[in-house]
Amino acid sequence: MISYVTRRLALSLLSLLGVSIIAFTLTRVIPSDPADMWMGPHATVEQIERARIELGLDKPIPVQYGLYVAGFLRGDWGTSIVTKQPVLRDLGTYLPASIELILVGMIIAFAVGIPLGILSAAKCGTSIDHASRLLSITGVALPSFWLAMLLQLVLGKMLGLFPLSGRLDFTMEILHAPHRLTGSYLVDAVFTANWPVLRDALWHIVLPAVTLAMYPLGLSTRLIRTTLLEVLGEDYIRTARASGMRESKVLAVYALRNAVGPVLTVGALTFGYSLVSTFLIESLFAWPGLGRYAAKAIVSVDYPAIMGVTLLVAATYVILNLVVDLVQAFMDPRIRLS
Amino acid sequence: MWRRLREAARRAKRNPLTVVGLLMVALVIVLAIFAPWIAPHPRDIQVVHPDDLFRPPSLEHLFGTDEMGRDILSRVIFGTRISLRIGTLVVVLALAIGLPLGIIAGTFGGLLDEILMRVTDIFLSFPPLLLAMAISAALGPRLENAMIAIAIAWWPWYARLIRSEAVSIRERAYVEAARAVGTSWPRILLRHVLPNCLAPVIVQASMDFGSVILTSASLSFLGLGAQPPTPEWGLMITVGRTFFLTHWWIVTFPGLAILLAVLAFNLTGDGLREILDPKAKRW
Amino acid sequence: MTLYLRAFRTAAAALAVLLAALGLSLPLAGADLQIAVHVQAAEVVPVWDPSDGASGEIALMNNVYEALLRYNAVENTFEPILATSYEKSADLKTWTFKLRQGVKFHTGNVMDAAAVKFCVDRTIARGRGSAYIWGPVDSVEVVDPYTVRFHLNMPAPLDLIAAAGYSAYIFDPAYSDSDWFNAGHDSGTGPYTIDTVEGREKVIVKKFADYWRGWEGKHFDRIVFLTLGEASTSRLMVETGKADFVESLPATDIEALRNNSAVRVEVNPSLQNLMVLYNTQREPLDNPLVRRVLSYLIPYEDTVKVALGGYGQVARGVIPHGLWGHSDRVETFTYSPTVAKALLAQAGYPNGGLKFFTTYPAGYDDIRKTVELWKAACAELNIELDARAMPTAERNAIARSPDPTKRQDIYLLYWWPDYANPDSFLSGMFYSQEKPAYNLCYYKNPTFDALIDYAITLPAGTPGAIDMMVELQNMLQREAPGIAVWDMQYLRVTASSLKGYVDNSAYPNVVFWYNCYRE
Repeated sequence: MISYVTRRLALSLLSLLGVSIIAFTLTRVIPSDPADMWMGPHATVEQIERARIELGLDKPIPVQYGLYVAGFLRGDWGTSIVTKQPVLRDLGTYLPASIELILVGMIIAFAVGIPLGILSAAKCGTSIDHASRLLSITGVALPSFWLAMLLQLVLGKMLGLFPLSGRLDFTMEILHAPHRLTGSYLVDAVFTANWPVLRDALWHIVLPAVTLAMYPLGLSTRLIRTTLLEVLGEDYIRTARASGMRESKVLAVYALRNAVGPVLTVGALTFGYSLVSTFLIESLFAWPGLGRYAAKAIVSVDYPAIMGVTLLVAATYVILNLVVDLVQAFMDPRIRLS
Repeated sequence: MWRRLREAARRAKRNPLTVVGLLMVALVIVLAIFAPWIAPHPRDIQVVHPDDLFRPPSLEHLFGTDEMGRDILSRVIFGTRISLRIGTLVVVLALAIGLPLGIIAGTFGGLLDEILMRVTDIFLSFPPLLLAMAISAALGPRLENAMIAIAIAWWPWYARLIRSEAVSIRERAYVEAARAVGTSWPRILLRHVLPNCLAPVIVQASMDFGSVILTSASLSFLGLGAQPPTPEWGLMITVGRTFFLTHWWIVTFPGLAILLAVLAFNLTGDGLREILDPKAKRW
Repeated sequence: MTLYLRAFRTAAAALAVLLAALGLSLPLAGADLQIAVHVQAAEVVPVWDPSDGASGEIALMNNVYEALLRYNAVENTFEPILATSYEKSADLKTWTFKLRQGVKFHTGNVMDAAAVKFCVDRTIARGRGSAYIWGPVDSVEVVDPYTVRFHLNMPAPLDLIAAAGYSAYIFDPAYSDSDWFNAGHDSGTGPYTIDTVEGREKVIVKKFADYWRGWEGKHFDRIVFLTLGEASTSRLMVETGKADFVESLPATDIEALRNNSAVRVEVNPSLQNLMVLYNTQREPLDNPLVRRVLSYLIPYEDTVKVALGGYGQVARGVIPHGLWGHSDRVETFTYSPTVAKALLAQAGYPNGGLKFFTTYPAGYDDIRKTVELWKAACAELNIELDARAMPTAERNAIARSPDPTKRQDIYLLYWWPDYANPDSFLSGMFYSQEKPAYNLCYYKNPTFDALIDYAITLPAGTPGAIDMMVELQNMLQREAPGIAVWDMQYLRVTASSLKGYVDNSAYPNVVFWYNCYRE
């Protein structure tokens, strides 16, 4: 087991290193002049030259990469050309909003997806099954940015049920200044018993969270259904049924136990996927999260920010996959006992 | 052979969704081929009508007109060509890179295999959209570059898939037998390994078709893919986003087209898996 | 399985109860605070340092910082702000300003002549943003604590310069560290000061209690500056009363909003136009005939109609309507495919077959539509415009690339002057530059340069100067290294309840919130 863990850890680190090299090369290949951007409009050519030297852009690329990695390990992830803030600080500013959004989205996805998957497996082959299969494949096929607009149009503008954008009303923000503990308005409001803010924040998070939830919803429904069907086809299930166990108990005892694995997998996969999905929908909802920051960085060729976001997202992906793999390996006695 | 077909047909009947998917794919292909004849205003992929801006859906313009006065229905129909082109080129390119690498690595193992695994590890650590975005930005905003970018992001999946299939096949008895008899490796690869890898590849490729279309639309939405006035669905949505609260038809129909096209390919791929490979442990 | 349905139903019920309870919760207290919401089209603060600005931060900065004077473009008058009066010498090379006393910075210190000298010197030394406007200044002299004198090396309208919307702010020398500014602080004298900052997308400012004008009468307590990045959402906000001022909306929205009594639509003149610059150093665009062909293929009237929704005018020369130097005596291109075809044959390409790599700014609907119209017209003559929307950083890297083969064929951009001065349009884009900054047609004409050098010595607005401007524009018209397509107007949408807002084209997109109130 130990050797397995060590090996996986080493491989993950190697992957991250590879990711950093690729990302760095890509940002250098984009035809852009970071020094120009740094100095702003109307800068003279001499000033841009000076900035280029200051920013270390005159050094050969491998040297630049080495300097970046050295700084990275020290905690200096570069300074965003666009915000002029340290990238690490920018990430800290914007990450909580995205995590809040993704977590709420995933809660919605699992709250609907798991029961639906179970139902679908139990009623396999019936019209309910077909309907839920259609729903799950649709969920995966929906363009998220389009769904966002549709929800804004129908639920926001036409029916007036939900606000179109932002995390909080300005008046709420100014009059009931939410304290920043975790960066999540929902969590902080609960901890500080700030009920008006909680309500307003909930109202604002519904549309973006539902948009984000569609993909994990589709995926989890599908996966639960498939796994359950496999499990339900096993011999020990037949035995349990034959011995008179109630169907609901069969599902409860065995189904749920086996659902844990797929749920974890979906959770890990979709977290990474959702982090990138937010690039598309946060701009539409003016949600001040990592996605909007990243989309802006890519479009303005803000290379330290791009590096920071890419490494953060890749690291999250890698770590989550690692955790899932390790958990599954732990549960597999063949590996655990080796 | 007939029996297998009959069995397949029986399975197909139990999967009405798959049939629906296949029909939808057929529709997309027909629309793409006959676009200039089916579309009511075929010149509207480029020509502009300054007097017809923002017309809501009507008999003359079933999907309405956009901010340059162009018929949206015609543009959506022509968009099928672009989507099919993107899907095909990307999948073919990704396979062209991933298939040979995967087969060789899986069959021969050893150092080659290790290297391939590590390289694909790195690529698979990127969420595909992120990698495609970064490469697209690096290459410059054009549809062709977006296709290359997506193909580069996609090939590792195929390589891994094929590699694991090849690994399981190489252990099989008939391969050992063929080697013992002295069959050359290229012949073994072509006659034994390749055909048996194909089933999962076909399934994956047909499901990926939809994902590729979605990724391409996302890239266009961010301004990294197709350029105006190309009638690419994602581009039509991003251009329409300035007006969609007051002119809902500009984004609704292209988006619906994306949804239905991706749905079609997903259903087909899903169904193909049930038909070709019902024992596959996949989701 | 019913177990799960039951569990699910219970959870749903609990959630519904929770939401209902929250729904019935307390009404808002303290709603007397007057809050105004200002929605911008692009980022609120691209640049925090008051010496360095040149773009979107102008709206925020002009409420937090102040300059010596404020210029009214319509009436051509100056309002005394931090300077109460000024004198200029006969040769326009010495300017003396008397400063207002008792003005406090937000930091608590008092504004005086030493501060003014420090700020101008610092801006010139840093040389970023619009600092070049102080070019004519030789030295700044502190005559006494409230009198400052500028010595220029050439005659220049220093009052206009000191009233500029960029790089002319006076701030506290004791609090002038760039990193401090970048962290979201300000040390200005303006009526509002920075309260909270959320990235560069949202800034909330609050009243500065010790503002020199005092707070009698109706004023806003807080201003929220934000950018939504979505015109559709911005429009909905102003329609539903959640925003008081929206910097610009698409022309189609304007038409619809005219009928809405909750909002007020204003169409204001601007000094902003769309420029097309041809790469004069590359074949076939080095041939003026080819450049003229392309210029005859722009459907000018249609672009104003479709791209600007009618809110603008076809350009007549490089200097826009409303700025002195603009004249009907300037010749202009019109949309003539037949003339274009004839010229094309004359240039040696009777069947077309040309392709041009064209870049234009991403994110601007009116520019995109103009390009699409132009592209369609060119296609008729078998000329392909390989047009790409790109972010500024990328476009400029390509355009300023030291390797000329990497540069684009055609470059489009908005242009507007840093202060109301026609020379900006001529020198900025057409005066030869060894290493191009904005002369992205790479035009090198010594005669033209010499004429401009002479023209700027003439006093502004005089018949002699105007004649010079007309001649320069006609020279550009004949050679066509670059042309202007249209002059745009600013479309402002405000809540009907907003009073006191007066658009001032010398400060584009700025609302002087101190003068505004809600009724």
